[in-house]
Amino acid sequence: MNNINPDTNQEFCVIGKRIPKLDAAQKAMGRAEYIQDIRLPGMLYGKILYSKFAHARIVKIDISRAKALSGVHAVLIGEDVPDKMRMGFYKDNPPIKKGKVCSFRDEVAAVAATTPEIAKKALGLIEIEYEELPAIFDPEKAMEKDAPIIHEMHKSNVLNLPWHLDYGDVEKAEKASAFVVEERFTTQWVTHCCLGTSGAIALFDAKSNLTIHTNTQIPSLAQKDFLESLKAMGLKNKRVRVIKPIIGGGFGSKLDTYAYEHIAILLAHAVRKPVKILFDRAEEFKATSTRQPTVIYIKQGCDKTGKLTFRDMRMVLDNGAYTSWGATTPSVMMMPITSLYRVDNVRYDAKCVYTNNTYAQAMRGYGNPQATFAIESTLDMLAEKAGIDRVEIRRINKNHPGDTTPQGFKITSCGLSECIDAVQKQIPMDGPKEKGIGTGIASLIHVGGGARIYKSDGCGAILKMDDYGKVDIFTGGTDMGQGLDNITAQIVAEELGLFVEDINVVHSDTDVCPWDVGAHASRSTFVAGNAALGAAKKVKETLLAYGSKLLNVLPEDLVLRKRMIFSAKDPEKTMPIDKLLRKAHFSPQGKMLMADFFYDPDNENMGKDFKGNLSVTYAFGAHGVRVHVDEETGKVKVLDYVAAHDVGRAINPLLLEGQVYGGVVMGLGYALTEEVILKDGETMNANFRDYKLFTAKDAIRIKAPVVETYDEFGPFGAKGIGEPGCVPTAPAIANAVYDAVGVRITDLPITPEKVLAALKKKKG
Amino acid sequence: MKAFKYLIPESVEAAISFYQAHSETARYMAGGTDVIVKVKEGWMEPDYLISLKKIQEMAELHKNEATGELSIGALVTHATLEKSLMIRNDYPILYDAVSNIGSLQVRNMGTIGGNLINAVPSADGAIPLIALDGVALLHGPEGERSCKVIDLFIAPYQTILKPGEILKKITIPPQAPLTGSGYTKFGRRAAMELPLIGIGVLLTLDEESETCTKARICLGVAAPTPMRAQGAEAFLVGKKITEAVLIQAGNLAADESRVRDSIRGTAWHRREMIRVHVRRMGLRCLALIKEGR
Repeated sequence: MNNINPDTNQEFCVIGKRIPKLDAAQKAMGRAEYIQDIRLPGMLYGKILYSKFAHARIVKIDISRAKALSGVHAVLIGEDVPDKMRMGFYKDNPPIKKGKVCSFRDEVAAVAATTPEIAKKALGLIEIEYEELPAIFDPEKAMEKDAPIIHEMHKSNVLNLPWHLDYGDVEKAEKASAFVVEERFTTQWVTHCCLGTSGAIALFDAKSNLTIHTNTQIPSLAQKDFLESLKAMGLKNKRVRVIKPIIGGGFGSKLDTYAYEHIAILLAHAVRKPVKILFDRAEEFKATSTRQPTVIYIKQGCDKTGKLTFRDMRMVLDNGAYTSWGATTPSVMMMPITSLYRVDNVRYDAKCVYTNNTYAQAMRGYGNPQATFAIESTLDMLAEKAGIDRVEIRRINKNHPGDTTPQGFKITSCGLSECIDAVQKQIPMDGPKEKGIGTGIASLIHVGGGARIYKSDGCGAILKMDDYGKVDIFTGGTDMGQGLDNITAQIVAEELGLFVEDINVVHSDTDVCPWDVGAHASRSTFVAGNAALGAAKKVKETLLAYGSKLLNVLPEDLVLRKRMIFSAKDPEKTMPIDKLLRKAHFSPQGKMLMADFFYDPDNENMGKDFKGNLSVTYAFGAHGVRVHVDEETGKVKVLDYVAAHDVGRAINPLLLEGQVYGGVVMGLGYALTEEVILKDGETMNANFRDYKLFTAKDAIRIKAPVVETYDEFGPFGAKGIGEPGCVPTAPAIANAVYDAVGVRITDLPITPEKVLAALKKKKG
Repeated sequence: MKAFKYLIPESVEAAISFYQAHSETARYMAGGTDVIVKVKEGWMEPDYLISLKKIQEMAELHKNEATGELSIGALVTHATLEKSLMIRNDYPILYDAVSNIGSLQVRNMGTIGGNLINAVPSADGAIPLIALDGVALLHGPEGERSCKVIDLFIAPYQTILKPGEILKKITIPPQAPLTGSGYTKFGRRAAMELPLIGIGVLLTLDEESETCTKARICLGVAAPTPMRAQGAEAFLVGKKITEAVLIQAGNLAADESRVRDSIRGTAWHRREMIRVHVRRMGLRCLALIKEGR
């Protein structure tokens, strides 16, 4: 690993070092303050009552007994919610439902009481008369003409969304192809399983300004949502302050605002006291969102040499009863569809369809794992049909630096080839085969330099230095456990010649931190990192100017390193940085050093045709796996796993490996065991006993070779790595299962039942 | 969670008198890995929890070398059984079962008696004790009585225990020489897992190590309560045990089972797993006998 700073030609002091998470000890000792730990004076506890039916009219609600219970301060129903208070970008989801319910997850009433027990008891006293309506749970059936309509204001269950692209000439290319494969794939509901359950505390001050403590990955956009709620409540020109406690896991689950947050606001406003709503584990499973489930139809073709000729995909997405970011995952699915490997002719169409199921949200990879499952599974099928080695077909079609893909993505750095090399070195894909043992490979592309899905992809940072050589940096970026605080501290420390312990990262309060679009799209290291670097560079310039005056050295000859400033030419000319800061402060017209920087990457919003350079740079990777399949039970055992990623540069290899390990284990769960089981719309496994999250004992040793391509736009060359780890895991496993026993599983998760059923079918 | 008083008797008699004083509102607790969860979730709302943990005699694990009888106090934890070399060597079926219950933490707290009395169809602990012809000793306000372990269970979560009665210990009669045994829990994960199906097999061979003189095929999650596949057992007795014979026994056991579809697994796959694992466990029994264990 090259660890030389290209700007100074000196070895990095902080960048590239395996520095443990700054809050690791705090968390291990139980001192970290999560939403669970926060109690405010006079605080009440809110609880939510959910629907008893998947689809029903609310005929009557009687809250009188609940209201009369001692300790109950407020009971709210749908009629108490202002009409304009609606969540999600499609604005189809009021925080408490009125008139009818469309899923078991529908909120029908909420209570604030002096204790959680009283609040729970009050829920039991609310009497609701329902009139059940015909419900629909299969998205393909929900598209049929006579299907029950879920939202009467729309004439159809199909959402009006623009997910369609058509580049080149797919039909012509198909005719000209030497080999074509076609398949249908389905993927399931899985959920984030954050160890810290969801929660929020809302309170209003005397002037009706709102403060909300909430687990969020999007402090600035959540603030916008809450401002809109206040406006709907008739509270105009009020302020909203979002304070984010330490988060016990995000993975995309906190990328939208949820009903419980808006209900906490409504309750707090009704009682004029702080109101806390905290989910228990069952509620976390039932009332937070999942990964977007899909039905995928795919066709891919290649010419005689194995070069891809076209890719034609169509999807039906179960939108559930309401709309959140799950319905926008096709925008990210487009990335692997158009740009994973070189393929000129591409067509894609996705329909999001209302059903009476739960609704989906963002989840690590944002649609990419689903699309990659279909693409990489069929690529193996195509290789077999064409008689080409499955690694070779990936090499033939790999992306290259300098490529512009059909969608207009400009590939700057690209280490895909090196990633495939690394996989092959660890897990040879050819050679003699043992019975029941198989190998599989799958690759990925993901955004690695921001993703312009909003009007701004920016992040701000404010940096100040004190008299002792210490830094406070206020960043818009959000640490949700992934370690952005470390990355920010390391970048600032390196640039200013300090150590990480000199850097205090503040990222939790919209009153003091600048704007940021959110911790999503693997963008934080790249975007928040560049914002921090920009602010540090500005302060550095001032520091060097002062140093130049005091040490009588040209600024360009000065070096900041290990808390000292010195001349590169004459190391005798030196001074501790803190002393320099005091000299700057305590002199006539003294100056404290501070700077702000707003970094908005030079990427493009996608146009109406979905063309545009979404990200400044792209991350690549390849995963390889060796499995054993028990042919009598259908059980798949993962023996070896290698996940190679092009990360630009590893700012902190320890955290980077952590991201990859975590991603891969999440991907393995997606591939093999995890599934939210819905029976007629109702969650049947709202607990860790029956939701088969991998345990520590299931987690296997994962090798995570790092390919460094030093991206010219990344902070010190880094690209994003938050999501890629779980992107190609499922197809790598499916390909290995096929290699082992010759059955192709097209429906996730790959359970022993499915494998055994396929084996029996094959044997006839 | 509803508040409760926590009582800590130091003898079985004291525990029973505590129970009699509070009767309906009192509950016994052993390791607490099931009871505390139920109390926290509000599924059980006792005013008094009577902890049995301090009753020394119920925590003893002892093999009478003279008679060959094994006595397992109801409070013996899964971890104690798992760590015992005697259990591992002489009762491999029991070791197989307890060493895969829950997690290390659960095994440190959870007890074999609690596992039985909780009476879930998936109780890993019940299967080996049934295969080993275990006998449960119960002690209640009306005195002591005993029954076969398999007869403890009436329905899911229901045992024959009368109000105030305590499962004191399980005794295992001496095992014949040339006996082998094994248990498989078929599940999806490596820890914190309930069996989708649990299969325990015990075989005893005659002096020539050929003909089967005793067979036990015990199944968990195959019926509302732990069951023996007695048709398959009878089929094996008197036969020379070969793989082909074990395949037939597996088929019989699968047919005898009353497996169901549930969110955890399908009936057909469970039946297949019985077929496969009766054979595999049977072969393991033969291997152990051959090794001289």
